[in-house]
Amino acid sequence: MALLEVENLSIGYHSQKGYIHAVEDVSFSLEAGKSLGFVGESGCGKTTLGMALMRLLPPNGVIREGRMLFEGNDLLKKSDEEMREIRWKKVAMIFQAAMNALNPVHRIEDQIAEALLTHDPMCSKEEAMKQVEDLFVFVGIPKDRMRDYPHQYSGGMKQRAIIAMALACRPALIIADEPTTALDVIVQDQILKEIKSLQELFKISIIFISHDISVVSDFCDDIGVMYAGQLVEYGDRQEVFTSPVHPYTKALLSSYPTVTGEKYKLEPIPGETPNLINQPSGCRFRHRCPSAGVSCKTESPVWLKLTPTHRAFCSSIR
Amino acid sequence: MELTRYIGRRLIQIAIIFFVILTVLFLLFRLAPGDPVSRMVDPDMTPEDAEFLISQLGLDQPLGMQYLYYLKNFFTGNFGESFHYGQPVIEIIWARLPNTILLFTTAIILAALVGIFLGKIASWHKGETTDTLMTLGALVTHTVFLPWLGLILIWVFAYKLDWFPITGMLSEEVWLDPGAGIFTKLIDVLHHMILPLATLFFIHFGSYLLIMRSSMLETLKEDYILTARAKGLQEKVIRNHHAAPNAALPVVTSVGLSLAFSINGGALTETIFTWPGIGRELVMAVSQNDYPLAQASFLLIAIVVLLSNLVVDTLYAYLDPRIRY
Repeated sequence: MALLEVENLSIGYHSQKGYIHAVEDVSFSLEAGKSLGFVGESGCGKTTLGMALMRLLPPNGVIREGRMLFEGNDLLKKSDEEMREIRWKKVAMIFQAAMNALNPVHRIEDQIAEALLTHDPMCSKEEAMKQVEDLFVFVGIPKDRMRDYPHQYSGGMKQRAIIAMALACRPALIIADEPTTALDVIVQDQILKEIKSLQELFKISIIFISHDISVVSDFCDDIGVMYAGQLVEYGDRQEVFTSPVHPYTKALLSSYPTVTGEKYKLEPIPGETPNLINQPSGCRFRHRCPSAGVSCKTESPVWLKLTPTHRAFCSSIR
Repeated sequence: MELTRYIGRRLIQIAIIFFVILTVLFLLFRLAPGDPVSRMVDPDMTPEDAEFLISQLGLDQPLGMQYLYYLKNFFTGNFGESFHYGQPVIEIIWARLPNTILLFTTAIILAALVGIFLGKIASWHKGETTDTLMTLGALVTHTVFLPWLGLILIWVFAYKLDWFPITGMLSEEVWLDPGAGIFTKLIDVLHHMILPLATLFFIHFGSYLLIMRSSMLETLKEDYILTARAKGLQEKVIRNHHAAPNAALPVVTSVGLSLAFSINGGALTETIFTWPGIGRELVMAVSQNDYPLAQASFLLIAIVVLLSNLVVDTLYAYLDPRIRY
């Protein structure tokens, strides 16, 4: 049984202009200890997906349909109190805005210990502090900085502290939403390597959300490419990265430079993402798609199974 | 330690600012229209007597010398005698200042505590009936005209119901009675204090409630609140431990300002309730050209403003570690 199985998940937001279809009909599964990356441009629904998995959508957000089976139990059927207990103990999160994810008025050690103390009533304060110390060793922050406040940390250190916090309760799954976006490339690389090694050490599953396909392909076992709220291609890292099928994945890959590969002209993707309130008919990518046919305008795409693991949501490929 | 260093630094700044205020005040009193001598000099006096008086006051000296005398007198605690009372100014101030401090600090601290507490609840129930009622109530008490509220309270509770005394701070029969214990005297002051305290409390707590409410609503949007939720903390903990300490900061600023201005701005309340405080004394000193008393009162205001700033800064540094550096 997979650790996490998401079936036909649809999420939206009520807004003054109407209902926004943020995520539509997304299905995937994640095995224990594996990592899955979601990639796509801003507003494609990847953060919404991550928040929905923790049931932390803002008040106007609704999960309209689908199931989220975590260890076999549907998270959507949990009561608020049951969900509160699952948060951080089973599913932890590394946030997009790492710079502000720590409370400025509390000491770092207290913020991490708080997670331990909340989920383990038997844990004493001293024990929790001892564990925080160990966590600091894991993420490579000197122990004497434990008592500092967040503003005394650099960006990289804050992100390490948040990783330490995410590991505190030894969760089965960590959702990492753009964990390195606010950092410079060198620190970004260090942090990614660290997450990777800690993931292997603790056998944690990771859902990695990023707009950067090169980071995701470096890091994850499987990749899901999202466009305008839909999953458009899904598969093994090698399959998606080296033999992409969906025109959007191809376009995304050719709009990023590689350092080691051969030189090529970077191709921006023309046009803009569609309106998520009044969705276009047919395929959502057709306006920007170089290989869109006549049927793409009227007919919704279908999933094309390429290999047992690799699938693409497109009707123009034959 | 870092907190002590921070306070030390602030103290040095305060000393410098106070010296500037001292100098500006000296100049202001010399530049102000009106002549202290004409207030003191009797029209029947001979010119010789008048000149003698002027030289006795040191007003025939050059401005520089006057300034040095002024500084010397200040640092030796000599503020002169009040023209009106014929008593040393310092005695008048020491007699009045504690009354003002007692009334206003009590009222403002109470109002702040209640305002913070209710504002927190209102923000948590945003859009619900609780919130609407609290916000509306706060707006009403906040915008009510203070003298009106004071007079209505006196009329209802002191005159009609006769629950509280109408004026003053002490009852003669209690304080002149040698058998009355300290506890009875304390109760007597408290009894006199309730109405002015209630007036000030109602005027202030609404604004604290509104500040706390909106500050809480802003804070609840912060990323660290999302972190707290994701950590699986209970809502109560998120509200009290993660949001409230951050949200209370603007209220602290506002409390500091209120405290600073209570000493002079309180003249209205003190007049309505004939509370023997420094605010009322200052207004009278200015209208009666009582130069020594007015000058000392202004200096006192400066000191109180600076000190309450220090208190606020210290509290701020205690609440927000980012300020300490």
